[in-house]
Amino acid sequence: MSDMSFHLGEGSVRIEFDEDLYPKDAIYGAAYVFIDRCWVHLDRAGDRRIQVTLKAKKAGADTQAFVGEFQNELLGQTWRLRIVEENKKLIESITARALGGAAGPPGLDELLAMDIGEETAFEDPLGIAMSWEEKYKKKGKAEGTKAEAEGAGENASGGEKAS
Amino acid sequence: MTGLSTLFTELGPAAKAPAGLVPFRFREVGGDILLTNFLGDWLFVTKDEFRSLARGELDPASPLHERLASRSFLREGLDQAKAAERIAYKKRFLNWGPNLHIAVVTLRCNETCVYCHASRANMDAVHTDMTPEIGEKVVDLMLQSTSPSVTLEFQGGEPLANFPVMKHVIEYALARNRAYGKGLEFTMVSNLALMDEEKLAFLVDRKVQVCTSIDGPEHLHTKQRILAGGNAHREAVKWIERINKAYIDIGLDPTLYHVEALLTTTREALKYPKEIVDTYVGLGCRAIFLRPIDPFGFAGKTAQIVEYDRAAYHAFYRTAVEHILDLNRRGEQVLERYGSIFLTKILGDDDPNFLDIRNPSGSGIGALAYNYDGKIFSSDEGRMMYETGDPAFQIGDVFTSTYRSLMKHETVRALVMASIREAQPDCVNCTYTPYCGIQPEHSYRTQGTIFGRMRESTLCAVHKGIQDFLFDKLRENDPKTVEILRRWTTVRARTHFIHASSAS
Repeated sequence: MSDMSFHLGEGSVRIEFDEDLYPKDAIYGAAYVFIDRCWVHLDRAGDRRIQVTLKAKKAGADTQAFVGEFQNELLGQTWRLRIVEENKKLIESITARALGGAAGPPGLDELLAMDIGEETAFEDPLGIAMSWEEKYKKKGKAEGTKAEAEGAGENASGGEKAS
Repeated sequence: MTGLSTLFTELGPAAKAPAGLVPFRFREVGGDILLTNFLGDWLFVTKDEFRSLARGELDPASPLHERLASRSFLREGLDQAKAAERIAYKKRFLNWGPNLHIAVVTLRCNETCVYCHASRANMDAVHTDMTPEIGEKVVDLMLQSTSPSVTLEFQGGEPLANFPVMKHVIEYALARNRAYGKGLEFTMVSNLALMDEEKLAFLVDRKVQVCTSIDGPEHLHTKQRILAGGNAHREAVKWIERINKAYIDIGLDPTLYHVEALLTTTREALKYPKEIVDTYVGLGCRAIFLRPIDPFGFAGKTAQIVEYDRAAYHAFYRTAVEHILDLNRRGEQVLERYGSIFLTKILGDDDPNFLDIRNPSGSGIGALAYNYDGKIFSSDEGRMMYETGDPAFQIGDVFTSTYRSLMKHETVRALVMASIREAQPDCVNCTYTPYCGIQPEHSYRTQGTIFGRMRESTLCAVHKGIQDFLFDKLRENDPKTVEILRRWTTVRARTHFIHASSAS
């Protein structure tokens, strides 16, 4: 069987291909591009074969052109995944700089909008107001009892929740 | 030597890069090979020279070695600190938030255009007028931008149809900016048919820059822009001349201060490249922006009438720019805006911060568009799509959104990431990546994805075609032509229009 095949139906097209050729994220991404024009259905046609059905929402659509466009988009999505992986640091760095530069530091309005009520005002999830002895006394012991270990676990859990 | 496409097939396993070269990209332009590197430096080599390079041969004593070294193509001698400085300088726009704030003060319009991008409403649709309260909220958000200077651009519809609100917003912005001290500019994009002396006096006094649309000679303009009971071209020309005179009357240099006009290149316009240029020059315009039609607003619906093949656009562009160059050789100072934007990056080692050809694009982080009803979009194109039924680029509204929530919006983040050219198929290998940029909204509108498929993108085709043309001119290296192209990279600041109030 060829790697990719398609079957034209009434206002729809069914495309089948080997699932090992493309990452699943690329298949989802390529199929998603069509949802404004088509009803999109993903299925498994057989052993390691993926089937994508594109049913046009409007009559008279060129469903054969959908096949070419889907294949091109699939290739683009697959290649992009690889490029993004290779350039992850660059993308993160540019995005962080762009959004950080545009947003700027939080202003007074944003600080005022924070949820600081009577119950939460004195929460200290990072233990900033605790003395060194309070904060580290349990960790300082080489061997602890079971009860102490459970207590330490509660503290850790509280910190994670707040963060 | 045969074409570049067969070179590596011929060389087979013998192909290897010479040691010591920085990563570069290449493209055949006009019979030679153009090399560009990550810094935006570029160099033409002959096919024979390129063939040697492809074999891994580079004689350290050769002129080619010297040329490569002088353009930062060799690792040895590359000043890394200076290189980092250059990149940071060219990307300095990333340090600021949106500079351009587009306020659509009404959708009402007195003209009907075949390609209307703004999705106009009839003149009686007063419910599409922005209220003064919404206008004030637009200003409040705009002034929170981290950008030290901001431009408030009034658009429509026809903004003069809601002049009282525009006036109110200008006065409010001037008053509010006393607390912020930003460099504040106002621009109005108008067909000018509703202008009168009273409005003009206010606009001149408040230093509002005026931009209009001219489609070319009268017969073309009036065919595409219908003014009920009037002649759209004559009205525009009459007011361009009147406004330019008003600038002279207050002592401004007419070569710098004059009405700017924008062209929308339709299929019909392709027949008149020289006539369009001559019309602009005749009106005193010093810049012509040969923009191809874009797929937003009504143009998406009237595509069969106004759209065209991009090869036809390139032929139009080349003819028009050759004519502009001829005029320059005869002493006329006029430039083409696309050329100016790309050349500033190619020859000027700078970035003019043109939002649609930026990497990453200016969507959200460089511009915001405010609809008459207070809805906020990542760009005016995003707003146009909302008006034709797709709210994908709405990122908030003036009633509930804070400035930082807009900048941190997930759509803005996605638009930034989708417009980093080094992360996109094709662009990652494209010779023109150091100078290029694609607006993700365009890819979404035409291909259904903000990432886009560049080989099928009409915008990519336009950008590549223009850069091919410009680089071919640089390859030919005619001294007079290169001097003209270099002049296009020099932007004279129009400081009169900046309200530089100091914060109190």
